[in-house]
Amino acid sequence: MARSSAARSVRKLAASALKHAFLIVMALVSIYPVLWVVSIAFTPGEALGNPNLFLGLFPIPSSFTLDHFTSILKLQVVVGSNFPVWIRNSTIITVSSVVGALLLTLPAGYAFSRRRFRGQEASMFSFLLPTMFPGVVTIIPQFLLFSTLGLVDTYFAVIIPYMVGSLSLSIFIMKSAFDSIPREIDEAAMIDGAGEFRIFTRMLLPLTLPSIATVALWAFMGSWLDWALAHVMLESNSLWTLPLALYAFLQPNYTYYGSFSALSLVMAIPVFVVFLVFQKYLVTGLTAGSVKG
Amino acid sequence: MIRKPRSRSILRRLRSSPYLFILPALIGLLVLVLYPFAFNIFITFTNMNVYHIRACADLFANATQADQLHCYALNSGVQNNLFYNFGFVFTDPAFVQILENSVIWTFSNVLPTVGLGLVLAFVLNSKVRGKTIYRLFMIVPWAMPSFITLLVWKGMYNYQFGVINSLLGEIGVPAINWLNGSCFNAFVAIVIANIWLGYPFMMIIFSGALQSIPQELYEAASIDGAVGFTRMRTVTIPLIRPTIVIALLLGSIWTFNNFNSAYLITAGGPGICTTIFITQAYNQAFSYFNFALAATYAFIAFIILFVPGFFWTRYTGLTRGGGS
Repeated sequence: MARSSAARSVRKLAASALKHAFLIVMALVSIYPVLWVVSIAFTPGEALGNPNLFLGLFPIPSSFTLDHFTSILKLQVVVGSNFPVWIRNSTIITVSSVVGALLLTLPAGYAFSRRRFRGQEASMFSFLLPTMFPGVVTIIPQFLLFSTLGLVDTYFAVIIPYMVGSLSLSIFIMKSAFDSIPREIDEAAMIDGAGEFRIFTRMLLPLTLPSIATVALWAFMGSWLDWALAHVMLESNSLWTLPLALYAFLQPNYTYYGSFSALSLVMAIPVFVVFLVFQKYLVTGLTAGSVKG
Repeated sequence: MIRKPRSRSILRRLRSSPYLFILPALIGLLVLVLYPFAFNIFITFTNMNVYHIRACADLFANATQADQLHCYALNSGVQNNLFYNFGFVFTDPAFVQILENSVIWTFSNVLPTVGLGLVLAFVLNSKVRGKTIYRLFMIVPWAMPSFITLLVWKGMYNYQFGVINSLLGEIGVPAINWLNGSCFNAFVAIVIANIWLGYPFMMIIFSGALQSIPQELYEAASIDGAVGFTRMRTVTIPLIRPTIVIALLLGSIWTFNNFNSAYLITAGGPGICTTIFITQAYNQAFSYFNFALAATYAFIAFIILFVPGFFWTRYTGLTRGGGS
């Protein structure tokens, strides 16, 4: 008995060591190229233009500077547009896109999961179509459309496409999340006299929080890092978002790799913060979803 | 079991139109997708290119972007031979290789990204210390703008100075000419970089799906005596199967239409070794300003994705309603 439990704990230990070894390797692989970005951001001059940069295993800058970080704070790439303005625009656009995307996705995912209706499969399949058409060619007609509507150069010109752009994945994720909740839960609540809307908001949404977090994260990234659409739709300098400022460091005759790397790192920070917040829902979604109320 | 008839009558009583739930999303889709779609199909029959755009040159000095684009659209006419652009694409001697590249590119990316994402999600969903830290490290490739990280990858592949060759040198492997050697080397190089970009998000969606499985189902399964592998086979896999199916499908579509890695690391080269459909469309649109040809490539890409996508959703029942 004692022996077999010892054997079991050895096996457990080995399994855990194996898991950690795998995770550590993957974590290193994940961050290694980004360590170079960090190195470029702290090296004076434009290190990425110099192939010697990639000599050596560890990306340690030969000399150190904070200039690239201070330059993005000070810099006015274009008149009437600076770091606080980019942050403000990016925040307004991203938050609206995420909220809008959830408002479109959640009811649709619910209907696709819980109901049966004519044209259901066709309409669900149609949400895949936009992904099949490469983005590079849809931007111009979308621009013509928005300019006809007089919406070019307003927040709406990017918020609306971002909202819709995340749907193709989101609706499918939410449908399968609702599908994984046993229907008995709805039925029990209905017998208790709860209406459909109440069941949807009070029972199903809390139960699917982890998937809602995924969908929100997806919508967040779709607008936070987008350059192409913003570049076409937003003309005024006062409407510039962070990616527009980022790519402004790539001038045709000179590339500010140092500042580009610095701003890339700054832009990644909110992603980690948002991810940590969602991470909480990924864990608590389980317990919050107990079916007792 | 006994509840069923009663609940069904309640359901019927509470019935409100399901169309109301999907209408907002559907309207957004129709407006933003249908018009660009029709527009693109129309211009595949035209000769909208830089020569006709030149006619707009005098507008350029003070014109807004909107005026310029309207000018491009108006100054291009329908081709005498309606299918001129399609003929051009299909008779291009490079067409077959580009098609082949695109298909190999798609499969060699999607299977490893989905596989890695799935394994990582499972491992990080089990009892492991330091999950949050691991997850945080793992999403790094996804959190950064890919432009800069892909340029770093390009540097790491550098024949003379790149860290990858110096690492290989450490273990006695002779330096490999990644980017300007054989087609195979260049292809492997961009696939590795693109897998690196892709697996974090797959991990996130699988983690979300795993966490969305109600704990009650696991409890019920363990009462039935299902643990470990049996539990995985009877509870976990069936419930995350739709997510795997959609990840494979959308992953393929995105990869087919994703040109960042191929464009920034190898620029489609050497030769046309790593040229895929989407880099070709991008080149036509923004290097040669031949918008009609770009639209034609895009339309062909659409058909190539639509046909298998349609049968795959049918076969897997992805869009089938749960309905009561």
